[in-house]
Order: sequence, then structure tokens, then C-alpha cells
Amino acid sequence: MSDLKQTLKEQIIEQLNLEDITPADIQDDTPLFGEALGLDSIDALEFIVLLEQNYGIKIADPSEGREIFQSVNSLAAYIEKNK
Amino acid sequence: MYYIHTISSISNQDSFRNNDVYSSLRKFDAENDVVAPDYKEFIPRNALRRLSPILRMGLTCAMECQKNTNAEFDSIVVGTALGCLKDTEKFLTNFITSTSDFLSPTAFIQSTHNTIGGQISLGLSNHSYNMTHTQNNLSFEVSLIDAMLCINDGKKNVLVGAAEEKIPFLENLQPNIVADTHPLASGASFFVLTDEKKSIGIKKVDALFNIQSVENEIKRFLATENLTVNDIDLVLTSNNIELSFEKTIHYLQHTGLHYSASAFATHVGHDFLKSNPANNVLVVNHLCNDKLGLILLQKG
Repeated sequence: MSDLKQTLKEQIIEQLNLEDITPADIQDDTPLFGEALGLDSIDALEFIVLLEQNYGIKIADPSEGREIFQSVNSLAAYIEKNK
Repeated sequence: MYYIHTISSISNQDSFRNNDVYSSLRKFDAENDVVAPDYKEFIPRNALRRLSPILRMGLTCAMECQKNTNAEFDSIVVGTALGCLKDTEKFLTNFITSTSDFLSPTAFIQSTHNTIGGQISLGLSNHSYNMTHTQNNLSFEVSLIDAMLCINDGKKNVLVGAAEEKIPFLENLQPNIVADTHPLASGASFFVLTDEKKSIGIKKVDALFNIQSVENEIKRFLATENLTVNDIDLVLTSNNIELSFEKTIHYLQHTGLHYSASAFATHVGHDFLKSNPANNVLVVNHLCNDKLGLILLQKG
């Protein structure tokens, strides 16, 4: 699980082009949307692409995203449950 | 006369925040694409991370013009021949190679030519007239004509400029687009045109298609302003011209090859007029055989 979280952090940084941010700057429970990383609705779409391309997971109902994309913890848990 | 209030250029030259680009011109430096400022000083981090080089250059020049003008623009006009190539390449590569059902939205959103004008509008919170012109190597000239029409229409401060970015793949396409061997380059130049009297302005612009003779068109263009070749103190040209001018600069030797380099030449011409006892500068853009852009700059 910790390997998955580390990989996720690296993929998030690459997919969202988060300049000047390293995986160490993202805590497992850091809220991904809001002040810390400043992500927005376009990034939510990028997360959907990231999950589909890297883990083969399709989010059929976009409204689920609010819960899934809360943090690296919630993302990793969703991937573990659905892969 | 359409007066020039301020100019900002990012190019292969040391042109950003340089008050006399003409005097500091040097040969094109193949080691660097552009001499860029630290974009983080101009663009918020969250916006910057999504912006390709052409958007960074365009938005930064626009912000610098806004700062120098100290007034809100009432029109934004942008010219670009090839647009946002980096995002276009990224989007198309994903489109062709991806096996997933979804594609990254960012590259798609930012692959259109009018993204530059759109990002300037967003960055400056400016919701005025916003237009992008794509007319091959005459995109800047056509944009200038639109900006002049805006002034005629009563607008006071019109932001007008052009931007291009190179990508490695363009090297493969370039020989099929124009017959020119200068190294490919990127660049952006933005101007604020105003109806308020300034020391230098744009007197006349032509964007001509299907031309037969460059020399005849130049003579005709000058004649409409009661000028001859002998009245031109400096000509900045993309190609050789079979006319004898007092002073000639081949501007692609300084900018490298991009399709809106005449915008940078206009910046150089402005700075030449500012610092020399001269009255008329002509920019000749003949990058494509059958197309000709002519810009006449004059002291006000």
C-alpha cells in the first residue's frame, strides 16, 4: 500500500505538472483540492484520466470523484478496492 | 497615426524590459531558444504549471504591457501562425497512441490558437473584445489592421501582438512550409496601440496576398504616403529586396525563423526611431513567396 501511495504521488505530480512539488511535500492525508496543492476542476478530470490510464479503473459516476480524490489515502484505497 | 504606448518582447535577443532593443541586437544564439524572465514573478504558480512556452511568453508580455500602460485594455488582438504547438503535439500524440477511453483535458483545451488571447483575458481579468488572427506569416500584420480598426472604432488602449513557439517536430515540417534556412525559434512581441499622441506610431500596414513583385508593392505602398525608397531611414526585412535602402537589417538573423518575427522587427524599428535622428522605418515581411506584409513606422 505504501508503494502504491508513493507511486500515486509521483504520478499526480507528473500528470498535473506540479512544478516545485516533490512526493515528500504531499502527505498521505493532505486534502488534494483546496489550499495545499491548489487543484481545481480540470485537475479532477486529469485524475479520472490518471486512474483509467494507469490502473484501468473507470469512474462511471463523476460525482463519486469528490470522495475518491480527497487525498492520496482515499485514492489508494479506491484503487486497492477496484483494481 | 496609431501611436505606440508601450512594447514588450520575449525573444532570442535580450529584449524583455530593454528600452533599446535596436542598440543591443546581436546574432541569433542557437544555444538558447528565448531569453525569458522568471515567469513565476508574473504568473501565479497554479496557472503557470499548465502553460506551455507560447502561453507563458504571451501572457508575460501582456502583463508587462498592462503594467506600463496603467489602464485597462479595451481590446485584445493576437496573431499566431502555428499557435500552441506543444499542446497540439501532446494532444494528438495522446489521441493516436492512447489505448484508454479518456484523454488529458489540459492539452486539448490549450491546443487551440485562441488560447493565447484567452489566457491573457483570464490573466488580466479582461473581458473586452478578444480576437485571434491566423494568417500564416501575415498573422501579426492582420492583427495590427484589426487593432487599428479598433482604434478607429473609438477604443483607447488596444493590446496587439503575436507569438510563436517551436517544437522539435517542426524541424521535419519546416522545409515544406517556407523556403528559409534560418534556425527555428520562438518569440512573442506585444504592443499597446492608442489614439493618444506618443512619440512613435504605426502609420500604415498592408497584408497582401498573391503578390507578383515585392519591389513594385513596396513602391506602391510608400507612394500612398507620398514617400519613396529614399525616405526610409531603416528597412527591417525577412528576405533580400532588389531595392536600395539607406540601412537594412535582415531581422531573421536576430530572431531566428518564426512566422511572426515581423512583430519583433516592429519593436526594433520603434526603438531605432526612438534613439536616432530618423523619421521612417519600414518592416518588410516576405517570408512566404506570394504573401507580403508591410508596416510603416513613423515619428509622431
